[in-house]
Amino acid sequence: MKGTEAESKVEKNRNSSFEFKQCVSILKSTAKRARDLRELREQISTVSEDSIFHHTCQYFLKGRVREYTNDFAQWTGETLEESALAEQLSNIDPYVFRNLSELRKALLSVIDDYLENFPEPKAAMPGEDFCFNETISVVFSAGIKAKNLAEFLVAIKYVDSASIYYHFYEARTRLGGKVDDFSRWFEDVLRERELAEKIRCIDPFMHSIEGIRTHIVEVVEEKVKRDMTVTGTGK
Amino acid sequence: MIDRYAGIAPKGDLMLLQRLGEIFRGRSFLHVNSTRAGGGVAEILQRMMPILEELGIDARWEVIEADDRFFDITKKIHNAIQGYGEKITEEMWRYYYEVNRSNAGRIDLGADAVFIHDPQPASLIEFRKRRGTWVWRCHIDVSNPVKEVCDHLMRYCEKYDATIFSVAKFTRAISVDEYIIPPSIDPLSEKNRELSDGEINEVLERFGIPGERPILLQVSRFDRFKDPIGVIKAYRMVKKYNDCILILAGSPATDDPEGEVVLNEVREYAAGDPDIFILLLPAFSDREINALQRSATVVLQKSLKEGFGLTVSEAMWKGKPVIGGATGGIPLQIVHGYTGFLVHTPEGAAFRIRQFLNNAAMVKRMGERGREHVRANFLITKQVRDYLSVWYILENKGKTVYEL
Repeated sequence: MKGTEAESKVEKNRNSSFEFKQCVSILKSTAKRARDLRELREQISTVSEDSIFHHTCQYFLKGRVREYTNDFAQWTGETLEESALAEQLSNIDPYVFRNLSELRKALLSVIDDYLENFPEPKAAMPGEDFCFNETISVVFSAGIKAKNLAEFLVAIKYVDSASIYYHFYEARTRLGGKVDDFSRWFEDVLRERELAEKIRCIDPFMHSIEGIRTHIVEVVEEKVKRDMTVTGTGK
Repeated sequence: MIDRYAGIAPKGDLMLLQRLGEIFRGRSFLHVNSTRAGGGVAEILQRMMPILEELGIDARWEVIEADDRFFDITKKIHNAIQGYGEKITEEMWRYYYEVNRSNAGRIDLGADAVFIHDPQPASLIEFRKRRGTWVWRCHIDVSNPVKEVCDHLMRYCEKYDATIFSVAKFTRAISVDEYIIPPSIDPLSEKNRELSDGEINEVLERFGIPGERPILLQVSRFDRFKDPIGVIKAYRMVKKYNDCILILAGSPATDDPEGEVVLNEVREYAAGDPDIFILLLPAFSDREINALQRSATVVLQKSLKEGFGLTVSEAMWKGKPVIGGATGGIPLQIVHGYTGFLVHTPEGAAFRIRQFLNNAAMVKRMGERGREHVRANFLITKQVRDYLSVWYILENKGKTVYEL
């Protein structure tokens, strides 16, 4: 979805060590706003794909688990107090769609269904409008490379959370499907398919970035320990 | 100097800063605002200049020179932009423009990047040199202004290459790119560095403040938007239940002629209560403010309108529980119920103060979260990183992903 330049560099690195990168997001306003659900629907139908991306896929940049899993659901639930709709919007997984256009359609479909049944939603209080933003990503090297699992384990404990975000969350939109950079490297370079599968089983919605780090450390640590045991017993 | 932030600021911010420093080494970066002392903008620029210089960037900070008449006019413009009815006549706008024209003759506006801060020097854009990326950096809320005043100002702002606002909801529909970058605090400054108990006690003794009693503190200019009267009302409600003292501390700013009037109103309202300490601190009383924040039990920023309210981040960095008005940039800093409490009334403030005064575990928990929230989002290293990123983006327009 985003970043062909970054994608080609990942491609080049497939046969080598894992280079930790990270990205920062520079926030930009679209100057579009919504005061109520109908305006939210209208704006979602026309706003840039970058804005849809920011309010859904980049939700995890906020650094902690909130009540809902995207900005649209959060605003609908907390500001408009339309909890049923917030739950439905929150249940949309942005990573299962082939592109942002499909994700946009899914968001609109849920809102349309809701408006059909509850046609008079209330407006937000003054100053509580939904502001549509988008971001520009600046990607840079974190200055760390790992040649094997043991080095990876040390590095993953050390890197900034922005690096985890880039390789675990942002990669899903960059590479497509449910694939992240970590599991891809485990599978393609280290030939550790089982480990890759375990990483892919971590539910991105249920954890903060630090929670994701903890899970990856657990899974990789277990594998490294097992390998050491096997080596130690001479098997 | 950048090394001194290691272990304090996030590692990635420092790495990107170094990378951007390599890119912009030897390039010139000019900032222009309206005061060298008082208020958050001057404070940030003071701390930002040495960082930019250490990165190898030719950084310069200029301040426009103007008389009281100009600052009376720009204060009215400021109020109108924040939605409080003020009429700006054609003659006032002419004077505003003339003062900027005269400053344009005095200040060298030639630089590779020029950031003009807030409405006071905004019309300097009319005198831009051919080279350079010009950005209007707006620290105030323009989302709900007096329309005619805002329209007039926006005619200048739309001539810039881009604008930067502190909070997304401060923006309005204009024809140039609007970036969102919050302001920041410097953890190494005199205002935020660690202090010894001796240093803190020395300040309290100097002001005659009893350190053993619970202290409620608001640090801000004496400005009606900061609601100092509302803070006193909240304190009086709390006082019926809990022993405490209240400190209202602020410094005057050269571009705020209303400060003295509001200070007198506050003194009158306090009516000689010996437990209310109204401290008019001279500019650059950074260590004093640091000591007061560190000695406070609860910190308030009960603003009715706010640009950003950096005193909130200052207090959170010191691990203090903060109660803030739900306005401007305060909700970005205080995640309600997680890093502090947002309130809308003196009654709301009073209730939350009582909660904090009666629950030490909550104070500790929210204080720790607040400090981490500031570390991730509101340190000066991040703001410099973002300014330089915007400069880079504007010089290399057209992409949504940049690999450095």
